[in-house]
Amino acid sequence: MSDDGAGLLAEWTHPVEWGKVREFARAVHDPRLGREPPVPPLTFPVVLSAEFIERFVSELLPLDRRRTVHGEQDYEYLKPLRVGQVIRCRARILRDEVKQGQRGGRMRLVTVEVKLTDATSGETIGFERMTAIEQEAPT
Amino acid sequence: MELAVLRDPPPFRFGPITRHDLVRYAGASGDFNPLHYDDEFARSAGLAGVMAHGMFSAGLLGSFLVSWVEDRHVRRFRLRFRSPVWPGDTLQATGAVARTHRAEDGAVAELVLKLARQDGSEVVTATAEVECP
Repeated sequence: MSDDGAGLLAEWTHPVEWGKVREFARAVHDPRLGREPPVPPLTFPVVLSAEFIERFVSELLPLDRRRTVHGEQDYEYLKPLRVGQVIRCRARILRDEVKQGQRGGRMRLVTVEVKLTDATSGETIGFERMTAIEQEAPT
Repeated sequence: MELAVLRDPPPFRFGPITRHDLVRYAGASGDFNPLHYDDEFARSAGLAGVMAHGMFSAGLLGSFLVSWVEDRHVRRFRLRFRSPVWPGDTLQATGAVARTHRAEDGAVAELVLKLARQDGSEVVTATAEVECP
């Protein structure tokens, strides 16, 4: 698609691995644990973007983790994620702005979106959007 | 269209949450933010000690959601993080059908979900859009 390059921050591929899905399902107490093949939990896409998010927060932005909280997480699901797929992830920044906080002090809000597509078929699987909030450094 | 199949689910309890849960989630997710395993780092951020990953709590609420409806019917899942979870907390997930409306390809139910601590304070609130086939 011609608009895919607009604002593109990073692009990578990541396989949906059997063992990783099972490990994640166990960690979040998924009631379907034990099914074969394992079913990716609704929040499993964080596994596909973990390395990118680490680099994004620590190096690309960067944000001070001591003053940063996770504000929101938003998933849109178009096609199911399956074990064995290879997912192409494309990240872009939707928002990076400074706002006045309710209790004084300013805060930086950053929203990044990762679009997930099947690397083989090109089908769009869904979207993951994460919002981080960094409080102003104390003076 | 018959929507009566989607009833409000019984509440579900998780925990008490342990450090073991936090370490397991760090490894499974690949999120090694030291706020979640390093007490000294957490204290340098003004916290009493390590706190759970927001996405760990989100994952628990997702598990509650897929025990209520089939994941292939979930179109949207939006979560807001309200307060941190500490080791020792017991959490309760609740959910309800807020409304249903017709879409081009059938009916869609809007669900509201909440994960709360033992004292009733909110940890994560969420909404989900679910197809009703």
